[in-house]
Amino acid sequence: MPPFMPPFMRSLATIGLGTEILYSFVIIVCSLMVYYGTKELYELSSYKGIKYFRQAFLFFAIAYFFRSFIKFILLYFNVREIREFSPMLFGNFTLLIFIYFSSLAIFYLLYSIMWKKWNGNSNKIYLLHGLALVISVISVYSRNSLIYLGLNIFLFCFVILSVYIAYKNSKNKFKGHNLYAIYVLLLLFWILNIIDILIPSFFQTFQLFIYLASSGIFLTILYRVLKKVGN
Amino acid sequence: MAKRGKLEIIKDMLKIIQDNRNSIKSTPLLRQSNISSARFKEYFNELLDKKFIKEFNHKGEKFISLTEKGFKFLEKYKTIINFIDEFEL
Repeated sequence: MPPFMPPFMRSLATIGLGTEILYSFVIIVCSLMVYYGTKELYELSSYKGIKYFRQAFLFFAIAYFFRSFIKFILLYFNVREIREFSPMLFGNFTLLIFIYFSSLAIFYLLYSIMWKKWNGNSNKIYLLHGLALVISVISVYSRNSLIYLGLNIFLFCFVILSVYIAYKNSKNKFKGHNLYAIYVLLLLFWILNIIDILIPSFFQTFQLFIYLASSGIFLTILYRVLKKVGN
Repeated sequence: MAKRGKLEIIKDMLKIIQDNRNSIKSTPLLRQSNISSARFKEYFNELLDKKFIKEFNHKGEKFISLTEKGFKFLEKYKTIINFIDEFEL
């Protein structure tokens, strides 16, 4: 932690398991509210864009459950056997699931705005699953932070380019402007979140701020969804 | 004139049925829907499958009417379109 940081800032930046669980809880609740809040719209319309959008948030909920909520459940119910059996295996497994589902969530969110341009071919969905699996396996097992950072920079550029194309082709550019910014921020904070997990010393000081900003993005999306859905 | 999307065609078909006191035969529905008979068949079967409409017999003739789900679709149509627009889906 840098020496110039005032004591109250230091205590704020020190993150415990409780804060992490609370953060995951906020993301899970927001994601499930988006998922269930849009259920009726999808059931009535069967619209593919709504389907991918909803699934993206379901995947976020699953990812964050595995990120830390599961730790809370294991501690609460005192299920020590699984952790003591092989803590490394347990940690790697939950991390793999977290990165797989959160990558998939980002891809589905991207696909929800790009599916028409990408011809709505369902084979692309399998490609996204494969890509998410590759990212999660490389991230967990390579243990090489350079490979991981390179992978994320590539992914970031790819998503930024796709969002830019979608924005350029958008009918209501001014109306949709904030939305694209939200999607880009969501991606940025997703990458920061994963870097934070894989290389804990990287953002130690700013962990709390990453959590707050990520929660803010999810709450903004939830607010916009509920405002449109009207319940 | 811009090409109608699938949701708009479905809305138009359901609206025609509703505007005809929720009872119409398939021929006038086809005519008023302003789509080809092949596409009409496709949409009509989809509406039946999704239980947006139902067929019933009256004095030996087949009529079509909206189901509760069909009314619900019309009620929520604007919300669906606004949602798709808002999130650029």
